Amino acid sequence: MALSKRSKIILFILVMGILTAFAVYLYAMRPPAKIESKTVDFSGSSDDFMTKVKQDASVWGNKVVQLTGKITSKDDKGITLSNQIYCQFRNDVDFSLLIEGEEITLKGRVIGYDDLLEELKLDQCIIQ
Amino acid sequence: MKKLLFLFALVFAQTVLAQTYFTRTGVTEFKASVEAFEPVEAKNNSTTAILKAESGDIAAQLFINAFQFRVALMQEHFNENYMDSDKFPKAVFRGKIKDFDRQSIDPNKEYALTGTLTIRGIKKDIEAKINISVTDNKIQLKSSFSVAPKDFGIKIPSIVRNKIAEKINISLDYGLIEKK
Repeated sequence: MALSKRSKIILFILVMGILTAFAVYLYAMRPPAKIESKTVDFSGSSDDFMTKVKQDASVWGNKVVQLTGKITSKDDKGITLSNQIYCQFRNDVDFSLLIEGEEITLKGRVIGYDDLLEELKLDQCIIQ
Repeated sequence: MKKLLFLFALVFAQTVLAQTYFTRTGVTEFKASVEAFEPVEAKNNSTTAILKAESGDIAAQLFINAFQFRVALMQEHFNENYMDSDKFPKAVFRGKIKDFDRQSIDPNKEYALTGTLTIRGIKKDIEAKINISVTDNKIQLKSSFSVAPKDFGIKIPSIVRNKIAEKINISLDYGLIEKK
């Protein structure tokens, strides 16, 4: 097949156009960022964090935190730190080896303060 | 002796009746997809629900920012443009399951759920059918109902009007365990 120079240029532009459109589509449809890549707004003990939350819980909504604390209870979806912070693990996290009484560090996203159960809720938690 | 037994039975009955069941990881989903357009749906795995076994009273709340979408932009628009979740972080339901009897739960029966749903500060009365089943002292509640965005003052711009369904289907699946 012998393409004229003009055809080659048009073909090239067409291909570049399609690739660009595809890239834009992939970017627009991208899934939410994973917690590993998010910057931490607070890092410290769960007790210290709870003190801050009690002062003003609203500012912590959607913030990513790294907490170290004692596991006071565990259920099938997550664990509770210091009796007041419930941390729901991300679906792919294997937390079966964690036991009550253990100290752990985790990274998670603050959902908000639940006034029905009087605890702070975190999700997307991963073990650090 | 009889009096003691009677008193004991009374106290025991009271304790059994005063049970509270709860979950902090209830699943609430909503679907507002229009065929041929991209799916508009999200799942919230962090719903809190509390059920008082004696009365059938139920209270549930979820945080809007905990709804997970497949597409990041959709999640952002949902929170920032439609739901204003910084200003109205929670959706709350307070209601009652009619004829709820902890001792005789019928998994084939469709119980009546009534109550008030508050989203974006706006209250709406809801009536829905709810299915209840029990496994190992865990009470499973399943229900679904529809609401319209305009019921809660959610404004959908005309540009995307066709891509979002008129009626939004909400379904819930809560596994409640006894609160000790």
